[in-house]
Amino acid sequence: MRSAETKQMFPLSSVKPLEALGGYRSFCLAATREAIEVSPRPRDRSPVSGAALEAFGEVEGLVYGRCPETGSLFLTRVAGARAWADLLRRVAERRHVPAGVYSGIVQSRAENVYVPKLDWVHNTLLLQGVRRVRVLEVVTPPSDFSPLLSASGAFEAVLTVDEMALRIDGAGKADQPVEAAILLESLDRVDDPVALLRAVSARLVDGGLIFVTALVASGFDMALLGRRSFYLYPPDRANCFSRRGLEALLTQAGFTLLEVSTPGVLDVEIVEAHLRRDPELALSAFERELLTAPSDTRRAFQRFLQQQGMSSFARIVGRKGR
Amino acid sequence: MRCLIFGYGYMGQVRHAVLRSHPAVRRIRIVDPGITEPSAALAGLVVPAGQPIPWEECDAIFVCTPNNVTADLCIEALRRCGRVFCEKPPGRNWEDFSRIADAAAAIPESTLVFGFNHRLHPSIRAAKALVDEGGLGEILSIKGTYGKSGGVRYRESWRNKREISGGGILLDQGVHMLDLFQLFVGPLRLVDAILQDSFWDCGVEDNAFVLMQSGKGVPAFLHSAATLWKHTFRLELSCRNGYLVASGLLSKTGSYGREQLVIGKRQFEDEALALGNPREEIIYFDRDESWDMEVQEFLAAIQEGRPPTHGTVEDARGVMEIIRDVYTLTERRTGQPDIPSPDSGMR
Repeated sequence: MRSAETKQMFPLSSVKPLEALGGYRSFCLAATREAIEVSPRPRDRSPVSGAALEAFGEVEGLVYGRCPETGSLFLTRVAGARAWADLLRRVAERRHVPAGVYSGIVQSRAENVYVPKLDWVHNTLLLQGVRRVRVLEVVTPPSDFSPLLSASGAFEAVLTVDEMALRIDGAGKADQPVEAAILLESLDRVDDPVALLRAVSARLVDGGLIFVTALVASGFDMALLGRRSFYLYPPDRANCFSRRGLEALLTQAGFTLLEVSTPGVLDVEIVEAHLRRDPELALSAFERELLTAPSDTRRAFQRFLQQQGMSSFARIVGRKGR
Repeated sequence: MRCLIFGYGYMGQVRHAVLRSHPAVRRIRIVDPGITEPSAALAGLVVPAGQPIPWEECDAIFVCTPNNVTADLCIEALRRCGRVFCEKPPGRNWEDFSRIADAAAAIPESTLVFGFNHRLHPSIRAAKALVDEGGLGEILSIKGTYGKSGGVRYRESWRNKREISGGGILLDQGVHMLDLFQLFVGPLRLVDAILQDSFWDCGVEDNAFVLMQSGKGVPAFLHSAATLWKHTFRLELSCRNGYLVASGLLSKTGSYGREQLVIGKRQFEDEALALGNPREEIIYFDRDESWDMEVQEFLAAIQEGRPPTHGTVEDARGVMEIIRDVYTLTERRTGQPDIPSPDSGMR
């Protein structure tokens, strides 16, 4: 199994600025509460292990439970599937309004978030000797990534499917099979990741590849900040798997893991940004020392996190079949 | 299939382990005069001294012997069996290789493969995939460093006794890097070379600096050394749109470091702030299947009655031509086959 590290450096402000997140985050939390009120559905068991979720904590009144076996975090109440699909559509639209959360950083997100992912997908397919690829992006539209995939000219066809429609209806017999499926944080936000993976697998040809990115609870900033993380909120993070949990989820769904990496570059900066926002943030002396260390030290620590699979940005490649 | 292994040193044992788990292999026999009292694990496998070699009972032969017997054994194995896997180097010198190649050519149905497993290391396979179709553009230059520390028994090793090995570090390890150069840029011609016996004083080179050029003019530079003190494997490919650096090797001891491939994209000053320090991704590998893959390919070629895809006579010919030319050039300069040591004034 491979793992990867990146030496690409970019600031938090260029991809997901903490300061600009507030309005969007509040919208997401309110919309989630509304959806759950209308169509409540409890989730008291871990989708990974089936174990009863342990208490973890609340994020503005919304309760998260913790999988005792993998450390993954799950919102303990979601909405019914149709209501959840509506919720994801609402927040996706909100992200894309002219004054949306990323409106001022579209170009830097393209360079720092999507271009590396395009390289990742393209290079991995080459390394696996997969040619003439029909690729499926699984997302709640509109997608920022599918147009880039199409423009690259590297794929025979680029298809986009609504993740909740796929999770609810499954893959139809008339659906075109694909050689690769891409789920950028999709497993983080759908109400039933197991069902979604089952449907994705059905769309993939035997030996087809699945590309998954996720924010993982086992990563440095998420593990350190826990429920105080400003990035932990539903529906975008209704599920926050640990790296181990994500591996288990994919393996149980019948995928052979080819790559498990945590090539994140922002863990230290994210904690630093939280400390700026809340100077009283409970951190150990070592953690504070780290955050005020020279940039070379912080960079070396971030690199260590990447190399040891301990950053909070995870990416996984799996192959359908054993 | 019934396989016969000649030589049960390190490589013989590696081949044995692979063959043991191959589904098509029914029987393995081992010929090694050094094994007088086989261990329990080898009971019934080793052909006892004085007994005839079971040529008639084998479908494939693995020659894993010191270099001085490689050629004669390969030729005999080709005549007797016709399906031979020969460890690198392909003989001690150009004459040895030519004799082997001629013997193979005389038997049109024969299968002859040489053990250039480095092509199948994961970092190299990844680099090859990315260069060929990965958008990095044509290769502009290639540079390789392959070296080891020597070790306390270096002087005693048959690998450094000219009469047995035929040469020094270039023939022993450098041969792999030359094969990789050819994999990426095709056949090479020698431009210049310096060989030295700079530390070990064995009369064979412990350092080789070899400058070459491909048919398309791509420069290639090899440093093969037994004086690096730290085990090193590093292959650098500079391409029009980026670069690749394969380094470290998955090995039993891990002494060459974690096997990895750095993928870098060219960036100009108008594309990024990081001029001269572009975005890189490093892929780490944790599984070396090269031994299995090359044996599987050899046996598959036999079973399917087709030519092998790598480690071919032509692959070996390209490598041995360069080595021949390096030794010839050095001998012409120094007037002797032995490699000069620094105090000989021949540097």
